[in-house]
Amino acid sequence: MDCQNFKELLDSYLCGELAVETNHTMLCHAERCCVCRGEMAARRRLRASLRSACSKEKMSDQAMESLRARIRSEAGVGAQAARIVNGKWMRGWFGGLSKAWFLTPAVVALLLVAALGLYVLRRGNSDEVRRLTPEQIKALELSGSLMADSASGHRGCAVHFVNAAGPAEMPDSVREYDPACVGLEKIAAEGAGGLLLRAAHVCESGDRKFAHLVYTRGGGLVSLFVTVRDCQALKSGAAPPFSGLSLGPQRFTLDHIAVGAYQTLKRIVLVASDLSEDETGALLERLARPVVEHLRKTEAGAGLEERLVGFEGREKNEFNRD
Amino acid sequence: MEQNDKLRRLEIFEADALGFSTQLFRVALRVCRDREQAEDLIQETYLQAWRSFHRFEIGTNLRAWLYKILFNVHYSEVRRGRPELAPIEEMIAETIAYDPPTPQHLTEEDVLAALERIPRDFQVPVVLADVEELSYREIADALQIPLGTVMSRLSRGRKLLRMELANYARGAGYQVAN
Repeated sequence: MDCQNFKELLDSYLCGELAVETNHTMLCHAERCCVCRGEMAARRRLRASLRSACSKEKMSDQAMESLRARIRSEAGVGAQAARIVNGKWMRGWFGGLSKAWFLTPAVVALLLVAALGLYVLRRGNSDEVRRLTPEQIKALELSGSLMADSASGHRGCAVHFVNAAGPAEMPDSVREYDPACVGLEKIAAEGAGGLLLRAAHVCESGDRKFAHLVYTRGGGLVSLFVTVRDCQALKSGAAPPFSGLSLGPQRFTLDHIAVGAYQTLKRIVLVASDLSEDETGALLERLARPVVEHLRKTEAGAGLEERLVGFEGREKNEFNRD
Repeated sequence: MEQNDKLRRLEIFEADALGFSTQLFRVALRVCRDREQAEDLIQETYLQAWRSFHRFEIGTNLRAWLYKILFNVHYSEVRRGRPELAPIEEMIAETIAYDPPTPQHLTEEDVLAALERIPRDFQVPVVLADVEELSYREIADALQIPLGTVMSRLSRGRKLLRMELANYARGAGYQVAN
């Protein structure tokens, strides 16, 4: 592929309209040619600017209300029925409850307790996020080697499976690497709608091992990795005794591969793709969540508990010792 | 019973179909280039969609279906069926043999202004693909034109947009590679 071909196909590549093989050729060319790499970045920025500029254009509230009223009028729905459609809380058992709730103080008490419980729960969650000090957030920074290994694992390994006949199954030998990754493809399947699983295996990239699921979507390749949260995985050189889950996903882009990562206590789940950053972001949440939840439960079942309070540095880190 | 079914259908329509109103409006604005007309187009689109909603198969591509109705309404409103594009395409083809590098350091306002300056028949596919992220096939279905024509208009529309931006960037004193 020459630069002229690359430029002609670039927009279709960014739209995910090219065949997987052509995507690979595009990436190979971008890796070799810094001018085309720059053009790819500039067009990505242009698309983002376009989306952002156009997304500010919205219908007025008045037009929206008028639209709803006309549809309801067209549907022959009267004022009372329209209220029912508007206020979904009026329907079903809750609608019935609303008629009698003032007769049953116990129901009122129950609702108050539920509301209080929800408040406490939400407050608790936000407290957990607030409890992370800047020092603790810094302790969660991923190492450059983990970033490089995951990006090159995606580029170097996943690309060999673009045409593999799916669906794949994780081999039992994964137990030797990490028992929690047995059946990983089934755990991830809950969030993998619209993706085709091409491969499931354990692989190495750089000095790091990964349990690796390879998916394709349209013309794009997506990798889900699970790796050990060891001292080389974090910039500080030590894994802290708390997970990074309250921070949400940590995102980075390396060599045009967008990656997002979640840290549980003992493991790191990464989703890498050559789709746009926005698409990867949307996939990250969906694909990683069931895996993260499974790992979190496994770790809790193994007696591992987070210790946030009193964390003062790596000398208190018990997880690094195993 | 029938009234309950209708209410349920209306509820689904309001929850699902009206959720796309902002996206449809953005495209309607590009098509009409006038806010009031765009709002009228959206009203008519949704009314027609509601009238046909009992035939819509839940679970299929609702967004693409709504876009198709939007362009149907638009084409019938301008009373010319499909727009005549060939002469414009030929004219444009001569002017965009050169594809400039994408300029940098431009604001969203610059980008929007450049988009406004390109002919509507090229602007609409660019917005459908690059802003609303419809697939090329969905765009072809919505605009009721062949896939090849969509690709050709997209290619030219994007080049025109880059040319507008490059011209603006040069005028504003930014450096643009040749």
